[in-house]
Amino acid sequence: MDSNIIAQMAVSGALMGLVYALIAYGFQLTFATSKSINFGQGELVMLSAFFSLTLLDLGVPYWLMVPGGLLFGVAMGLVVERACVRLSLEQKSEGWILLTIIFGLLGFSAAENIWGRDDRPFPTPISSEALHIFGINITPVEISVAIGVCAIMGIVELFKRKTLLGKAFEAVSADRDAAELMGISATRTIMLSYGLSGMVAAMAGILISPITTVGPTMASALILKAFSVAVVAGLDSGFGVVIIGIFIGGLESLTSYYLGSGWREAPGLLMLILALAIRPNGVFGKASIRKV
Amino acid sequence: MLKRLLLLRGTEIIVLALLASIPLFISNSYALGLLTLLAIYGILLIGLDVTVGYLGQVNLAQAAFLGLGAYAAGISVTLLGFGIFESLAISMLVGLVLGGLLAFPALRLEGPQFALATLSFSALCTTVLNEWEGLTGGAQGLSLTRPGLFGYAFNAQGFYWLCLILFALVWMALRNLLSSQWGRAFEALRDSPIATDAMGVGTYRHKVAGFALGSALGGLAGGLYALNFQYLQPQGFTYDLMVILLLGVVLGGRKSLWGAFFGASLIVLLPNLLSNRLLFEIISALGLLLAVIAGIRGRLRKTTQTFQALAPVVAMSLLVVGGFLVENTENWRKAIFALMLFSVVVGLPDGIMGFAARYLTRLFHLEPPSLPPASALGDVLPKKPVNNSVLLELKELKRYFGGVKAVDGISMTVRTGHVHGLIGPNGSGKSTAVNVISGLYAPTSGEILLQGKALPKGSLFKVARAGVSRTFQNLQLFGELSALDNVMLAIKGAYRIPLPLVLLGLAKAEEKRAQADALALLELVRLKQHARTRAKDLTYGSQRFLEIARALARKPELLILDEPAAGLAHPDVNELVDIIKAIKQYGIAIILIEHHMHVVSELCDVVTVIDGGKVIAEGSPAEVKRDPKVIKAYLGVATEPDGPDTHPLPV
Repeated sequence: MDSNIIAQMAVSGALMGLVYALIAYGFQLTFATSKSINFGQGELVMLSAFFSLTLLDLGVPYWLMVPGGLLFGVAMGLVVERACVRLSLEQKSEGWILLTIIFGLLGFSAAENIWGRDDRPFPTPISSEALHIFGINITPVEISVAIGVCAIMGIVELFKRKTLLGKAFEAVSADRDAAELMGISATRTIMLSYGLSGMVAAMAGILISPITTVGPTMASALILKAFSVAVVAGLDSGFGVVIIGIFIGGLESLTSYYLGSGWREAPGLLMLILALAIRPNGVFGKASIRKV
Repeated sequence: MLKRLLLLRGTEIIVLALLASIPLFISNSYALGLLTLLAIYGILLIGLDVTVGYLGQVNLAQAAFLGLGAYAAGISVTLLGFGIFESLAISMLVGLVLGGLLAFPALRLEGPQFALATLSFSALCTTVLNEWEGLTGGAQGLSLTRPGLFGYAFNAQGFYWLCLILFALVWMALRNLLSSQWGRAFEALRDSPIATDAMGVGTYRHKVAGFALGSALGGLAGGLYALNFQYLQPQGFTYDLMVILLLGVVLGGRKSLWGAFFGASLIVLLPNLLSNRLLFEIISALGLLLAVIAGIRGRLRKTTQTFQALAPVVAMSLLVVGGFLVENTENWRKAIFALMLFSVVVGLPDGIMGFAARYLTRLFHLEPPSLPPASALGDVLPKKPVNNSVLLELKELKRYFGGVKAVDGISMTVRTGHVHGLIGPNGSGKSTAVNVISGLYAPTSGEILLQGKALPKGSLFKVARAGVSRTFQNLQLFGELSALDNVMLAIKGAYRIPLPLVLLGLAKAEEKRAQADALALLELVRLKQHARTRAKDLTYGSQRFLEIARALARKPELLILDEPAAGLAHPDVNELVDIIKAIKQYGIAIILIEHHMHVVSELCDVVTVIDGGKVIAEGSPAEVKRDPKVIKAYLGVATEPDGPDTHPLPV
């Protein structure tokens, strides 16, 4: 077997994996504060991508479109928190699982009817002329994905560590009740985490769309992989998602090369089930002690 | 009592007879197709309700089990030439086995992780059905011809009756099962898995059994689906169908067979409702009206929050307005499902049947079935001989959490018939010690002997089975179950009838006996008149007493009470003392963790004081109260020589 092809597949898969990692990072943000995640996150990525595409179609320049798309993501994240999550958290129930699934369904249907069912190309000013590095073809678009993912994750982490609001975020993640006693509003912090999660999802949509095109079905394809990455790495593991994202992305790409593209999702899904069976807290997660 | 039976059973029989006789009067093949589908989806949704309603887990795999069952039947017929019942049995078996297998990894999981495991399983199934072309025909689909029975070929009508009979059988079997100890166990592990284990009712096997059962019904429905349509495609069993199934269960009403039936009718009729514009407008307007009424009522009675009242109204208004604006409602199918489902989940969490059941119960003045007279307490808790022999022995018990030595070498002995106090300042390791004894934590080192035999380590379930029962400092009741059911669940040795007989409805006698025993225990803790009250609706004091009754139902050798008086009002504390004295009469040894010193003085034969994970004193209550080490641990030592350093503890 041509080792060059294998390397090529692994590298482009790994770059895609970074986007899965970014979406998984969005799960971590909300899981940290509220122990809940948005099951409609894939649709959020897709809706943000469509919205950004519409901005481009309206003649907004690319570099202005990016903040616009991110703002849209934040807004959608806040909608999810208000409509689907807050009530269940107040009632200490798991109704949010069903409600965020419903949000996804609504988003999917809206996208299908507003933007149509077909996949559409997403223009970008970044060149997709391949560069040859050590015999492997990498396009600048792919490199921009890597840079974009690292940049936004870095910014969010800096925000969490260096600002007062970010410290509140960390406090609620560590111990919600204690944080409330210190005068930090857990509800607002959870809103913040959903806003950030929405922003991260929008970024993922803007980054990946030039490579995959934009269409309603991109949601389900992305979310399953992001779930795999998040669960295998651990929902509270920080940067573990990056490593697992790269790994699953590469594995997926190789699987589709050897077994056919229909099987590409299988290894991620199997790993998710196995991880839940063997290490429910993920490879990088810490086991927690049951308290009564 | 008779009225209740007549009404409930009567309705079931009338509806069944109506459904069965429709084809005799109407020879419309389209209507017959809908009815067949109704029976199939009915079975499917009853299965889904076991996991979603009773186990309380968001199960996203039921559509996949429908598909697996369908393909299992399809392949049995086409490749293996099986007959109709053999292939249905295979479908069911596939659901049962794969459901059981999936339940294993999903076992320890709660909430989102369980949903993710089932979601991944579904996606994997779709992949396999699509890609394993040699067996399934892949995206091309799989055609089959429905086999006959004893040379008699089923026509559409005959097949409908077959589906209806199976539906009725499933209905009866599940009604029997869910009203037995099994149904209680399913609900208990939803409300508190820890307490379910601590009551010796393994969460493990019940969760697997519940999920496998629900999946088996999914498989059976799949088999019927295959034989009905005689053509299968993997796209028929994807995520979209799953959401519709959830809509059916939630809208119909969780934990209700009628809810499943209602949900199935809705799913079957939905495509027709959507394709007719006028009908759609009427339905959405009715939905809006319902949301407004329910919202206003909830707000006036202050039972719902503003959001809960307002959100369904907004969603339903969107539906009505959207109905006028969009060209083709069928294109917006998913959005319509989403809005309806959203309104129900937020505004009507019990579903339509939950709502209707409450209303109808009042309308017909239906009373809950009467209870048998309580057993004699002496029969429930046979007196144990009290001979001062050693019951429980701890030898150098240690439990570390990382570097924290919560329990650091405790040795103590509890004798039969004793109330053994375990006291110490906050954080001294009392709760950790009893958590290790009762099996919540495995000890880091050391030995625990009960009647000279080593107690199982690190398993609440096994320790409970060995004869140690406990209450919890932070209450772990089964909130949705009645007080009576809470106690009935825990009764030791009351349920001996094997599963197949339970399904046939032959567990009624043992159920009555368990009720009588549970009532005796409720009487002991003065809760008999609240037997039918849901545990979460009881007052805080009553909830603490209910935990004691539930722990006693295990008929334990040793009862561990973890701060039973915490947060109780003064009269309740006195009542608690009386109850514990009464329990002592039956020769049950008790470990009592308590901060109220007068309770300890009044009840305890021996008191062990621990501090910093170590035993610092042991003796009668009066002795330990005078012990300088104990006083130091509680009050500290005054540095000034004339300070109040030798005050006795407040009594």
